[in-house]
Amino acid sequence: MELQLGLALPTPNMLKGFDLNNHGLDQLKEMGGLEAWNKAAGCFADKDCVKSKRSFEQAFGNFTEECRTKPLLLWSGQPNEEEDHKDQKKATFSTTDENDAEEDDQVVGWPPIKTWRKKIFQQQQQPRVGRAENNRVAENENGRSIYVKVKMEGVAITRKIDIKVYHSYQSLTNSLITMFTKDKECNEDDYILTYQDKEGDWLIAGDIPWQNFVRSVQRMEIVRNWG
Amino acid sequence: MQKKMAYSFPDEVLEHVFSFIQSDKDRNAVSLVCKSWYEIERWCRRKVFIGNCYAVSPRMVIRRFPEVRSIKLKGKPHFADFNLVPDGWGGYVLPWIAEMAGAYPWLEEIRLKRMVVTDESLELIAKSFKNFKVLVLFSCEGFSTDGLAAIAASCKNLRELDLRESEVDDLSGHWLAHFPETCTSLVSLNISCLRSDEVSFSALERLVGRCPNLRSLRLNRAVTLDKIANILRRAPQLVDFGTGYYAAELQPDVFSNLAGAFSSCKELKSLSGFWDVVPAYLPALYSICPRLTSLNLSYATIQSPDLIKLVSHCPRLQRLLVLDYVEDSGLEELASSCKDLQELRVFPSDPFGAEPNVSLTEQGLVAVSLGCPKLRSVLYFCRRMSNAALVTIAQNRPNLTRFRLCIIEPKTPDYLTLEPLDVGFGAIVEHCKDLSRLSLSGLLTDHVFEYIGTYGKKLEMLSVAFAGDSDLGLHHVLSGCESLRKLEIRDCPFGDKALLANAAKLETMRSLWMSSCAVSFGACKLLGQKMPKLNVEVIDETEPPDSRPESCPVDKLYIYRSVAGPRFDMPPFVWTMDEAVRILH
Repeated sequence: MELQLGLALPTPNMLKGFDLNNHGLDQLKEMGGLEAWNKAAGCFADKDCVKSKRSFEQAFGNFTEECRTKPLLLWSGQPNEEEDHKDQKKATFSTTDENDAEEDDQVVGWPPIKTWRKKIFQQQQQPRVGRAENNRVAENENGRSIYVKVKMEGVAITRKIDIKVYHSYQSLTNSLITMFTKDKECNEDDYILTYQDKEGDWLIAGDIPWQNFVRSVQRMEIVRNWG
Repeated sequence: MQKKMAYSFPDEVLEHVFSFIQSDKDRNAVSLVCKSWYEIERWCRRKVFIGNCYAVSPRMVIRRFPEVRSIKLKGKPHFADFNLVPDGWGGYVLPWIAEMAGAYPWLEEIRLKRMVVTDESLELIAKSFKNFKVLVLFSCEGFSTDGLAAIAASCKNLRELDLRESEVDDLSGHWLAHFPETCTSLVSLNISCLRSDEVSFSALERLVGRCPNLRSLRLNRAVTLDKIANILRRAPQLVDFGTGYYAAELQPDVFSNLAGAFSSCKELKSLSGFWDVVPAYLPALYSICPRLTSLNLSYATIQSPDLIKLVSHCPRLQRLLVLDYVEDSGLEELASSCKDLQELRVFPSDPFGAEPNVSLTEQGLVAVSLGCPKLRSVLYFCRRMSNAALVTIAQNRPNLTRFRLCIIEPKTPDYLTLEPLDVGFGAIVEHCKDLSRLSLSGLLTDHVFEYIGTYGKKLEMLSVAFAGDSDLGLHHVLSGCESLRKLEIRDCPFGDKALLANAAKLETMRSLWMSSCAVSFGACKLLGQKMPKLNVEVIDETEPPDSRPESCPVDKLYIYRSVAGPRFDMPPFVWTMDEAVRILH
């Protein structure tokens, strides 16, 4: 039986001269492996299907005209396409609660990360809620993860670190040196660690007590020491 | 019958022999030998596994297997993990519990995955099964700590309570106090998913202290680092431990107390938890690292140098779950230190950022594939890949059985040649002859599916996203993959032809999921009509599919084989393509 399936979808890759548009089911059969399934399916190969065949032709004949192509657009939509949108998305992602973050994802469910894991990730990006109410101040201070971007002059990758895991400038710089020397061969004396504080000013790290630094740092940059 | 078979055994002997046969496949084979074996087998089957709770009804199971003690059920399709299945879709366990309450009073074990469990269901379990021992709720939802309190209070011989990755309405930490003082039977307790900061810590300590057989304990974030030592000292026999919150100001006495407590756990082989880690506390683990076979650091935001130090102390590691902070350098260290590694999972620390925030590339995976001869299972999130790397991995590790690669940006080509990754994945299926699970990503044409159909003869589960050019891709898979049980597809240009031409194949599989593809409503109806043993369900949250022309593609499609017929607990946004039911719907 011939099923003429005049599907209007483009088929740019035609393997071995196969043309789904013109030869329909017969050609699929020629590829082999179809016999067994056809036997089992039975009805697709016999005359009783004539009625359904007609509805198929009707269906596929009208395909491009009447149909909204809404789902098809999803394939061409790329997440993170525009610069502006990306930055905006990043900003909202780190400060909003989990519901808003979901809406910001341009592609639902991609990348395929379990909701459970995403929620933990989001919790880690925010200050822990409810701790102050429990009056466990010590844990409150210990608990907050503070993520800060660190950029090094001449290196493409901007890293994000949790400043709370360090307890001194020394431990911070040691870790940064280890991290960035992988990306760029350098002599540590050639570089200075600078940071942007809450007022937006760029300062050299190390002048104020560590705890004050932790509370005011917004982001950091490692720059060449020209002095 | 002319003569009695010389070798026919009395039923009791056969039953005794069958009791040694545990695997479902073997049991199923046994039951097909002859009628009397079928009868004997069904009366002595104690464990049932139902991979799709809608494939069969509770009554049918009970009718065939009257003496079941242990049941395992799975509900929602796998893509529910990624929010592709709307809330309210289904997967309710209550009907099962209700039927089993009457039929299986001696039921001991219930294991559920991706099902909706209510407090009512938990209360019914607590009330109905006098010898109840094991409750595992994996990725379940719908219940609260009130339901858990009922289980704790009533189940006198409870051995396992494992709530891994479930969504629990955490109303109060006091449910733990409902375990009676007489309960000493716990072997496994996993409460890591409870998100409240309250837990009745004293109740937990006492519970742990009075259960000498406790082997596995996974705590939640409410348990702070300073409390870990107390718990461990009460349970030095632990084999598997999940920490709570592993961060605190570095204090020497807390550190040494913790290190001492860990070193007293001579059987400890598996660690997990590690939310909010302070690296300075990691050396407290060094005494047990040489024995560790499984380490889950996938929530720990620690950087590569600290990870490398830790991993280099664990030569016996078989299983590692970690964030991409491990970077290529960390994976190279892993490859040189951990020759027993069988499973590696690398998760993204910043999945929604457009730029890479860590130096993790295909090189890390190549290094591990070269250095770890026993590597079988991989889950790897990264931002770039090349055909050359995939071919190398395939040639290095033909013993891979599970390979799941997620290149974060959809349709990313080979970064060196800008070609599709068809050849790379083709090498994976060609060389890894026992590959049973595969997830694809990156730029892929119909060619990759040709390779998969040709070589993927042992492939049981395939996940596809943003791939392929035409129906030919789907046809290759459905016609070539003989062992295929689960196929899940999203955002691919697969339409009606391949699906209808391979309709019979669908009866040999557990299920097929297709979302944002090109399957028309008309084809779904046809499939539903012609294949009575398949349930064809269309999911559309915006409007009924028949309000548009039949040629229009459906939003989401879930097809699964069933002997129970169409289900009747569907929400308004799910349409079944069974003719009779549709008319009534």
